[in-house]
Parts: sequence; structure tokens; C-alpha cells
Amino acid sequence: MSGLGKRYSTHGPAALTGVTFDVERGELLALVGPSGCGKTTLLRLLCGLTSPTEGTVLLDGRPVTKPPREVALVFQDYSRSLFPWLTVIRNVMFPLRRVGLSRAGKIERAEAVLGEMGLHGVARKYPWELSGGMQQRVAIARALVSRPELLLLDEPFASVDALTRAELQDVLLRVHRDVEGRRVTIVHVTHDIDEAVYLADRVLVLSPGPGRVASSVEIGLPRPRTQTVTRSSTRFLDVRNAIHDVISAQQRSTITTSFEKE
Amino acid sequence: MFAGAFVVWEIWAGAEESFLAPQASEVLARAWEMWPTRAFLTEVAGSLKQLAAGFVIGAAIGIAIGLVMGTSLAARRALDPLIELARATPPIAIVPALLLTLGFGDSMRIAVIAFGVCFPVLINTVEGVRSVSPEARDTASMLHVGRAERVFRIYLPAALPSIVAGLRVALSIGLVLVVISEFAGEGGGLGHYILDQQGQFAYPEMYAGILFLGLLGYGLNLLFRFAERRVLAWHYGAAGERAR
Repeated sequence: MSGLGKRYSTHGPAALTGVTFDVERGELLALVGPSGCGKTTLLRLLCGLTSPTEGTVLLDGRPVTKPPREVALVFQDYSRSLFPWLTVIRNVMFPLRRVGLSRAGKIERAEAVLGEMGLHGVARKYPWELSGGMQQRVAIARALVSRPELLLLDEPFASVDALTRAELQDVLLRVHRDVEGRRVTIVHVTHDIDEAVYLADRVLVLSPGPGRVASSVEIGLPRPRTQTVTRSSTRFLDVRNAIHDVISAQQRSTITTSFEKE
Repeated sequence: MFAGAFVVWEIWAGAEESFLAPQASEVLARAWEMWPTRAFLTEVAGSLKQLAAGFVIGAAIGIAIGLVMGTSLAARRALDPLIELARATPPIAIVPALLLTLGFGDSMRIAVIAFGVCFPVLINTVEGVRSVSPEARDTASMLHVGRAERVFRIYLPAALPSIVAGLRVALSIGLVLVVISEFAGEGGGLGHYILDQQGQFAYPEMYAGILFLGLLGYGLNLLFRFAERRVLAWHYGAAGERAR
């Protein structure tokens, strides 16, 4: 994508301006930034839910104007995005409704993805019968069942407890490494810097008012990563502190600018 | 409680000693004789048929217009004032007009019931569709759910709890309108039977008819709740889970 901008109303302030970056195939890119920096807006542009007022989003060289088949999105609020009137298996099968597979084939595929998410024996349950962490796994399974090339996640682990979050982070790492023998490209939006560093190949730091890319940080931590070893390595701490510094430097400058204006 | 009410009625009517106020035992005895007779069951079946027809037509119209208004802002803006006026009109008030256009027969009665049933269902459908979360809408877009498909796969099930609440209100309105339309029109039905017995000074029969109407309403409500529990099991489960 290049020169991406979004203005919600013609005279209003821009939510994003001049955002340009590339995502490599197979990469896990994290977007971090304080609230109000346009992370979610950016993600909605990437998946074609909203269209940019400046610039274009290109997927394999083709402009994205509506949600592409190859892209799947996972929301923060699983309880609203999963359909409560459908059982787990029917939720996961939903994206397959027009795929040329027999019903048995669809069930098999949905169950396979649920299995990859570590969910067994919950297919006939309703989402609300499961814990928050399990519901988010179902949501990820539903996103993966149509075998997307690009998986977008909008603060997916923000509404679960810390232990579950760590579990889900590892689920995501497994998804990134290999789902049904394929590698998935992932763009992961979060406000948790540690999470971003732990998961990503590269972290884009966004700054607010209007949102733009402040910095792009290569993580360079070896894979496979584990909660204990990776998070206690010096490289992890260095990168994490560097990103903290970028963000707090920005916040200081933003505060100064708003003082100068007055 | 029931027994107590009947005892009070029995004593009060006994003290009255008027043929206008038959005793409970007399009414119950008459009701007991009456209910298995073919003539009486025909009346009940007649009422139920009217109610069912009016209810289904009214609910279908309410849900259909409600879905359109819930999904399209333009439709909502255009129809809202009209709907507000129409639903503020007591359905009984349109009976004379319907008598003129549809006559005294079944079609007039069904139209009155459908009119009364339509609005609570319509309003609740609109509310239900509008309450669909932005996340659910975005999910539908991401999963390439087309316009028509979205109505049936997303909006209708999501709005169902609200629609069912509307249907429950509509059912009691429907029951009132069955009786009223039978008072006004020609032909059978329990309401007509009650009026008829009153005209013939057969007061125990009249009270028995009223008793049966009450029982009918009670039974229909039970049936409705039973169906609701089954259809909306997922909703009550999810709501219970949220409440914890």
C-alpha cells in the first residue's frame, strides 16, 4: 500500500495520513500505537471494509475495494462477531457455505481447523457455552477455515485474562508457522508492546493525530519463540524498550505541540 | 385460588338470586355439558381459524416491512410517520371501515386481526434488526454475505428474540380482536356465541363461553411460551451467560 490516507469527513481531521508500508508474504507484522492513532481504521482499510480517501491498498498488485476472498479478519469482541444462534461447528462452517464441498466435507474441514486451534468436543456447543479464550479460538478457526492468505487481527486478545492471552499468543504463533501445511501472512493490531515484540517479525509503530507510521522495527528474535525463553532474552528487552522510547518520545512531542497551539 | 374465586362467586350469586347472575356451579355444569358438543367445538375452531389466519398474515406483513425498515434508512424515514399514525389507531376503530369494504364475513375479521397483530411485530422487528452489532455486520461483509442472504442469515436470526417478544404481545391483541370482530361480524366463533347466548337470555351459557375464552387465551399463551423456549434456546442461554 502507498500514501494511504483516511478522512472520515471532508472537513474533519484526517484519521490517517500518508501511511505507506509493505507486508511480505508469510510475514507477521504487528501494528502498535496509542489509542486514537488509527490502528483500527488502518485495518479496516486493509480488508476493504472502508475505502481510503487518499492512496490505495494493493493486494498482490490489485487494488482492494471490497473485502477480498483471500483476507480474513478477527475482531476483538468475539461475543459480537460469532453468531450466537449458530453452534460452534456451524459458525466455523459459515464461510464455507458456497464452497464446492459436500456437507460432510465441510464438517470435516471445520473440525480439522477447530482441532488445530486445540478445540475438541465443542462442535455442537453454542459459543456462549465456552470461555472467552475458547470463543476467540473459534473466531480464529472461522477466519482460517476458508484458507486465507492474509489474516488480520484487531486487538484479538484484549478482552481475555493474562493467562489466556499468553495461550492465545502461542496459538497465533502456531497458526503463523503452519496451518494445514500453509504459511499465513498475519497483520496483528495491538496496544500491547510486549505482545507485538513477542509475536512479530516486524513492528510498525503508529503515532496519532493524524495517524502515520512513526517507525518500523525489525524484531529479529529467533523462532520458534516461547513465553519463557523469548521474553527473558536481552534482544526482547532491548527491542521492547526501544519501541517504548519511540512511543513516549512521540507522546511528549504531541503534548508540546498541543501546548504551542494554545 | 381458582377454587376460592368460585366459592365467592357461588355465594354472591346465591345471595343475589337473580337469573342475571347464575351461580358458579351452574355455569361450570353447563360448561362441562357444552364443551364436547360438536356445535360448540365448531365455534371454537372457527375462532381459532380466524385468529391463526389473522396472526400469520399480520406477523408476515410486520416482519417483512420491519426487515425493510430495519435495513434501509431511506425506507425507515419514508415509512416511519405513516407507521406511527397507523399504530396509534386502535384496531377496533377500523372495523366500521372494513365492514364497508370487506363486508361482515371472514375477510373483514381476519383483516382486523392482521391489522392489530402487524404493528407490535413490525416495531420489534425494526428494533431487533437495528440492534445487530457493527461487528456482526462487518463479519457479514468479510464473509461475503450478499444483501438478500444477509437478511435471512444475519438480520432475521439476530432480530428473532425481539420479533418473538413482539409476537407475544401480538397474540394477546389478536385474541381481543377475534372476539371484537366476531361481535361485529356474522358467522360463528366464540365471541359470536357469547353475544348470541346473551341475546337469548342464556346467561349460564354466556358465562361458560367467557370462561372458555379465558381458557383459550391461557392455553395459547402456554403453547407460545413452549414454542419460544424451543426456538430461542440459544438466546436464553446466551443471555443467562451474560447475566452471570
